[in-house]
Amino acid sequence: MRRAWWKTLLGVVFTALMLFPVYWMFNVSLTKTRDLRLSPPHLFPIDPTFEGYAAVLSQQLPNLGTSLLIGLGCVVLTVVIAAPAAYAISLLNLRGGRPLNFILLVAQMIPAVVMAMGFYAIYVRLGLLNSVAGLILADTTIAVPFGVLLFTAFMSGLPRELLQAARIDGAGAWRVFVSVVMPLSRNSALTVALFAFLWAWSDFVFASTLARNSALKPITLGIYAYIGNNTTQWNAIMATAVVASIPAAILLIVAQRYVAAGVTAGAVKD
Amino acid sequence: MTVSATDRASAMHDDTVAVTVPPERRRSALRQGSRWVAFGFAAPLLVYLVAFYAYPLIRSIDLSIHDYNVRAFVQGDAEFVGLQNYIDVVSAPLFGKALLNTAIFVIGSLVFQYAIGLALAVFFRNSFRLSGVLRALFLVPWLLPLIVSGSTWAWMLNSDNGIVNAALQAFGIGQINWLTSPDTAMTAVVIANIWLGIPFNLVILYAGLQNIPADVYEAAALDGAGAWRQFWSITFPLLRPVSAITLLLGLVYTLKVVDIIWIMTAGGPANATTTLAIWSYREAFGTGQPDLSPAAAVGNILIVIALIFGFLYLRTQRRQEDS
Amino acid sequence: MITRKLRVPIAVAVAAVAAGALAGCAGSSDSGSSGSADTYTWWDPYPQHEEGSDWAERVQACGNEAGVTIERTAYDTTSLTNQALLSAQEGTSPDVILLDNPAVSTLADTGMLTTTEELGLDTSPIDKNLLAAGEIDGETYGIPIGANTLALYYNADILKDAGVDPASITDWASLDAALAGVTAAGHKGITFAGINTEEGSFQFLPWFWGAGADLTALDSPQAVEALELWTGWVKKGYAPNSVIGNSQNTTWEEFLTGDFAFAENGTWQVNSAAGADFATGIIELPALKGGVAPAPTGGEFIIAPVQKDTSRYDTTKRIIDCMTTAEGFVETADTFAYYIPPTSEGQEELLKEHPELETWVSAVQSAKGRTSDNLGTDYPLISEQLWTAVQSALSGAASPQEALAAAQAAAAEATGK
Repeated sequence: MRRAWWKTLLGVVFTALMLFPVYWMFNVSLTKTRDLRLSPPHLFPIDPTFEGYAAVLSQQLPNLGTSLLIGLGCVVLTVVIAAPAAYAISLLNLRGGRPLNFILLVAQMIPAVVMAMGFYAIYVRLGLLNSVAGLILADTTIAVPFGVLLFTAFMSGLPRELLQAARIDGAGAWRVFVSVVMPLSRNSALTVALFAFLWAWSDFVFASTLARNSALKPITLGIYAYIGNNTTQWNAIMATAVVASIPAAILLIVAQRYVAAGVTAGAVKD
Repeated sequence: MTVSATDRASAMHDDTVAVTVPPERRRSALRQGSRWVAFGFAAPLLVYLVAFYAYPLIRSIDLSIHDYNVRAFVQGDAEFVGLQNYIDVVSAPLFGKALLNTAIFVIGSLVFQYAIGLALAVFFRNSFRLSGVLRALFLVPWLLPLIVSGSTWAWMLNSDNGIVNAALQAFGIGQINWLTSPDTAMTAVVIANIWLGIPFNLVILYAGLQNIPADVYEAAALDGAGAWRQFWSITFPLLRPVSAITLLLGLVYTLKVVDIIWIMTAGGPANATTTLAIWSYREAFGTGQPDLSPAAAVGNILIVIALIFGFLYLRTQRRQEDS
Repeated sequence: MITRKLRVPIAVAVAAVAAGALAGCAGSSDSGSSGSADTYTWWDPYPQHEEGSDWAERVQACGNEAGVTIERTAYDTTSLTNQALLSAQEGTSPDVILLDNPAVSTLADTGMLTTTEELGLDTSPIDKNLLAAGEIDGETYGIPIGANTLALYYNADILKDAGVDPASITDWASLDAALAGVTAAGHKGITFAGINTEEGSFQFLPWFWGAGADLTALDSPQAVEALELWTGWVKKGYAPNSVIGNSQNTTWEEFLTGDFAFAENGTWQVNSAAGADFATGIIELPALKGGVAPAPTGGEFIIAPVQKDTSRYDTTKRIIDCMTTAEGFVETADTFAYYIPPTSEGQEELLKEHPELETWVSAVQSAKGRTSDNLGTDYPLISEQLWTAVQSALSGAASPQEALAAAQAAAAEATGK
């Protein structure tokens, strides 16, 4: 009991240190423009202003919804593409599995800007410019190679006897995948889902190049409403980030609980 | 299901002994069918890779072996110059500096991101009150668009009105020009990048730790091994495959980092924080005159560097599997 | 089992995404083409003016006058040039772009812009110094919608406290004296933007040109003198160390704290200055030996990319004409606080409304385009070296002399001259 209490305190301290820049962001969001560059700076917003939040709440909420939609869509698509492929590489002895892993590494090295430029050309021809679906598809390219690599790493650690046992029972590859492999890979699935969501949420390059004129804009584009040619309204930008983080942070906390519950899943022995 | 696995395993043994079909033929028959099945599972990914990665990659190579000045970019009639762009890039005076900066940036970031991520993962391994919430909160930095996190760090590290210097002054340390002095600028961006990379390492290493069964630790504890010993003899070795992939991916991502450095220093002052990725970005988008071919050349060199490390990773993986 | 719980939701989600994709394909109105006969596409770098703002309404109004609907997309100014190039490559250029003036020559050089002659636009009333930024080899590629420029804002309260008279600042020596005076009185001196992007060059140019230096010779003694002015300020403590990384926006934020006596900034802060906690004023930037230093012009040009269907040009011309009337210029000026109109007629109109902008109008009349003197596409290459040299010298990595010598060598190599 005493040990747990000590750990909680330490955990809070670590988290506070890690999140200090986030606190600073919150601090700036409440600071008047003329107080932004005070030297020495104030730890608390002494003379707070809510103009940033007023701007955000009146303008950015639809963008938040769009970002959420894009994030979730990206998660689904990423897992749908990556998990079966990883299954094939790690457990079905896919021919050329190793070179494929390699290619995935190379794929991740291509700078996002180069990807975006290439996509522009493709999307112009496919008519996918300025659409949410197109953006979801583009954002999956950030997470899919990572997803495959992670799934492969975890799935190859699964005990073969289990799978063979299921095969003996007459299960086909698909059945084994859905009923045996995926449940055991829940940790990695949630990890991949987490990253896919976070990367899609904070993407700017694809949104800027491919969806500028979309009716539904993600929040990363919405922020530019506060960036003029020569002037920037920082408290509004930071307020946007704060407001945008709240629903996503809640989602994160819920997801973590899912992983925490049944932590022994993945262990084979009883 | 878990209990009966062992039962089934023994049952299977009995089966194979009784059956008369030669094992090789049976195995290859299974493999034949499974090859197509495997391909079926991987097909969406393969199509996806070809459609979405092949084209930009080919384009990048194409950009680098032609001379794409702005006019040629629009008109589409660039001159073929072979490897000239690569030669120009490698012999440019900035190349050595950029390479060194990249090495410092990557190694500095990776070492600390990994170490801190691992320490935190071990810390969180056994859940305690609030551990789930705290662990989730560690991911909040990733919710922020990079322009926000980059700007926040730039503000905190401002020489005159940054909170970091204010805190240091409270401790009697003089003003450090974090972002405006060529000596400390690299340290500043590395710190910001470490901060950005901790969540990634934490999440993956934590998930990896969860896959180490608890009874291994119990057995060790019964044998009298202390926490430190447990870490070095159990945790670290068993985490090796996960660590390897974490470090490799961390390397790939850190090599690509542009935004955080760009927002904080734009590669300055005096190229002190110009890494290869920043150089490539600046050539293409940072000046009024986009210089796309050298930018593509530098970008491709980065890909080659990553490939080399990828090879090393595969080599170690193969050796691990063989052992 | 978790999979069973998730399987149905996953299937539903996949179906939803697929349906969304189909809907997206069908409903995506902007397929990237230049628009139908009734829709004209317009790009500008003002994302802060969203749908329903005065600016957006005005753009629509010009479209309606020309008999078409305008589909407007706002980019941030750093992405706009590259996006324009990308779309030109794909043949999907918009009908009208508002582009930062130094970038006009870059686009013009690629052959993707029409000339004002082709469109039949009349550029004779436009001030020559402002039109020059869009002139290459005798051809003009667009019309400036207004210009802003730099001046020296001062904190009247601090100057009064230090006993400095702003009217006495007429050359560099008197400016230095003023700075010495305010710092002796316990205030901070001056702040400006020395960042290693185009903004840094923009802020350095008035001093560069004010010393008599020329962009084709970055290592001249005059150029060195200009740079030494800045490095001297930082060394003596008149300017803070943060100027090395300051953008213009940051500079203004520093000024608004009320600690600084002077800030070099532009027309766009006029309203903010009026609303500050302290009394403010402006003086034109002084040249080395006295007189007004030529400052660079900011502001966008309205340009028309080449279209496959040349019959669109008539309507494009009407849209541009609507934006460039004298009243149109004044409206633009008011929207962007303050773009000084590029015609004398427009300027007079503006002064009738806002007589306090007299100093700014005068500053714009003495201002200079960065790409003028037929520098065109050489300017970005030279500018990159200039801001690098400035930052090198300010941060102490090299002496002003060395930094500028290196810059000139690199610029000469880059431009091939």
